[in-house]
Amino acid sequence: MLLARIEGNVVATRKHPSLEGWRLLICQPIGADGEPEGSPQVAIDSHGAGLHERVILSSDGAAARAAVGDPKSPARWMVVGIVDEPEKGASA
Amino acid sequence: MRLGTVIGTVTLGKSVAGLRGARWLVASPFTREQFKAGAKTPVVSREPSVVVYDDLGGGAGQTIGFIEGREAAMPFDHPTPIDAINAALTDHIFYSPLK
Repeated sequence: MLLARIEGNVVATRKHPSLEGWRLLICQPIGADGEPEGSPQVAIDSHGAGLHERVILSSDGAAARAAVGDPKSPARWMVVGIVDEPEKGASA
Repeated sequence: MRLGTVIGTVTLGKSVAGLRGARWLVASPFTREQFKAGAKTPVVSREPSVVVYDDLGGGAGQTIGFIEGREAAMPFDHPTPIDAINAALTDHIFYSPLK
């Protein structure tokens, strides 16, 4: 599992049928200090994570297949939770 | 899933039985710097390029989303030696990093 920050999204009309209707979010893995680590991953999301929110990503394909409801889906990375953020203006 | 630019294709003369006639793309994965550069992105990144199984009809110059690992072989009925598959042809990428 990775801590990551949402940095954007991807629109794709032509994709694996199991990904139809899923939000595809660009997630930048970060460290505890919020600094980027490595290259962004694109993950499916059903929680409605917003831009610049921190999330936890899971790379568990079995869970992702269960989530999209297709045992033959190649889905892998998935947003499994949104990190509680301090109020804007409060010291992080 | 990672994003990458298709920089070529591969055609196999001989292959394992399950992969006859398959389409293969060579994809150069996006780095964070390329996401930031947007449309001006250099085509080839410093990340190692990946050969990707393709059944969506991707072509050179397109940006694709490819899935790596055991999951890439899940769409196949029989055990198939594939660990990267093209899962999306991107139409639009919105990218706005915090910093």
